[in-house]
Amino acid sequence: MATRHPSDKIMTARGIVNRFGRQQVHDGVDLDIERGEILGIAGGSGSGKSVLLKTLAGLHRPNRGEVLINGKPIVAISPAEKASLIGVLFQQGALFSSLSVAQNIMLPMREHTQLPAEEQERIAAMKLALAGLPADSGIKPPSALSGGMVKRAAFARALALDPELLFLDEPTSDLDPISASGIDALIVQLNESLGVTVVIVTHNLTTLFTVCSRIAVLVDHKVTVGTADKLMKSENPKIREFFHGPRAEGAMHARKTGHGI
Amino acid sequence: MPSTSTAPSTPTVAVTGTGEQLALEGVLDVRTLASATESLQRQGNQKKLRTLDLGKLEELDTPGALLLWGLTGKGVELTGVRAEHRALLDLMGSLKLRPLPNPATVPRWREWVIDIGKDADEAWHDMLDVITFVGRAASALRHAFLHPHELRLPSISRQVAETGVNALPIVGLMAIMISVVIGYQGVAQLRPYGGEDFTVNLVAVSVLREMGVLITAILVAGRSGSAFTAEIGVMKAREEIDALNVMGMNPMEMLVVPRLIGLVITLPLLTFYADMMGLLGGGVIAQLQLDISPVQYVDRVRHAVDGSDLFVGLVKAPVFAFFIAIIGCMHGLRVRGSAESVGRETTRAVVKGIFLVIVLDALFSILFEKLGL
Repeated sequence: MATRHPSDKIMTARGIVNRFGRQQVHDGVDLDIERGEILGIAGGSGSGKSVLLKTLAGLHRPNRGEVLINGKPIVAISPAEKASLIGVLFQQGALFSSLSVAQNIMLPMREHTQLPAEEQERIAAMKLALAGLPADSGIKPPSALSGGMVKRAAFARALALDPELLFLDEPTSDLDPISASGIDALIVQLNESLGVTVVIVTHNLTTLFTVCSRIAVLVDHKVTVGTADKLMKSENPKIREFFHGPRAEGAMHARKTGHGI
Repeated sequence: MPSTSTAPSTPTVAVTGTGEQLALEGVLDVRTLASATESLQRQGNQKKLRTLDLGKLEELDTPGALLLWGLTGKGVELTGVRAEHRALLDLMGSLKLRPLPNPATVPRWREWVIDIGKDADEAWHDMLDVITFVGRAASALRHAFLHPHELRLPSISRQVAETGVNALPIVGLMAIMISVVIGYQGVAQLRPYGGEDFTVNLVAVSVLREMGVLITAILVAGRSGSAFTAEIGVMKAREEIDALNVMGMNPMEMLVVPRLIGLVITLPLLTFYADMMGLLGGGVIAQLQLDISPVQYVDRVRHAVDGSDLFVGLVKAPVFAFFIAIIGCMHGLRVRGSAESVGRETTRAVVKGIFLVIVLDALFSILFEKLGL
């Protein structure tokens, strides 16, 4: 897939301004997403991480600024094309509760392709295996799955049309440590094997330090981008606070010893 | 989407060669997979495919890789595979691929029998639940009246405002509309017999005895019964009810009793208001269709109805109110876990509330007939 576009920036955001009423969320956010990287978006609660993710995924129109995907404005591409470019893993999974897990994965294929049903089922079974789920979980309703399995099923659905860019909203929140590190490992594995670009919104420091190649921190309505090591040395007091708490030290230790994945 | 959207380049795939040796060109992804499969079968010309050349394949995604991997399983040799495509094929090989299991199917007639049994069982348990809940609510009410200082007056007054005052416009409008409908029908049906003047009696009696209270109760069941279920149901789904219990507060007294008392106060008042608006609507019809002036109309109404008609309508209102509130609160407390459950219980509460109102109204009709009212 890397051959398709020579440019190495899959997505660029320029001068994003978001405000709700009087509350300023983003004030001129610039962000480049490199093809094939795993970018973490971090920030405290209420710093506008999720709004930024929605803006980048084209679900929210910013008050000012624009988002380009493969050099084209995201507002100008057709819904079908967008579906094959972008996949989103929502925080609660957002699996359709009236459909089985396999039907959830087949839904975008049913809508956007003319594949026969048995072919769709074969592909759905493959996506389940990619996300690390057994085939018999496919016929279950989403409500019958555990928290970690819901995330994996949502992963499988986000990958349904082999998107180039995958947005993950808090992929490891509400999960026990074992499931969370399983998801971390899955993110790295999919990034390596499929070459998919991944953007993770999270405040899980272990995920940020062990999975992401670069981190964008939202501080004072703007982003600061850098590698974990660079951000650790930052002079900005708020970034320092974020990366030097007791929890950050533990996560940094996990990064150094290679745990967490 | 705006018209500025650039046309998406539709990817294509082509199968070249014939017989045992074929080659794939172009893009093999989920969009072109169907045509690729078809051309492979056609070009293969029923001969067994031996080698498939991928040297000119530009793009490959996981469904495409799955197809190619399946072919290698059938003994087809892939040649000229690019490194990035080889990685995807190896990924497919590393997956434990198993077909989706077939869900157990039940014959339709058995499904029906099972559904009937389930529904009957559910209806039976529903009835027991309603009786239990009436008992619990009555006990909570008794407690509230024995300890009047524990009555939550602000909460009750908020319920009266929400279920009553805010419902005034819609209830009034509905009452006028219904009496207009009855009036028009009455004039049309009675005119051939020269009895169209009796339309006034028809409207006045039917509004006071039946229509006023019925329309109000049905509207309130839809409006406030559902609101009770949704409010309490969301609290239940977010464990707020458990929080009340843990802190030693009884949700029956905190949530159910104020709604119950509020609605029992509100519905008779709303009904009286609907009666008056209904009579107003009748007056409009009388003026427009029968040329009866407002003064004459009031006089005719006074002769057509007496206190018992008004009483028969109003006395039903608190009973309806009690059951609407009971059903609404009960279904709210029956919410389990998730958000879908709130929607389901709300639907049930509204259906059951309206059903009960109409059944009770029929029972009242028989009762008043026996009493000669």
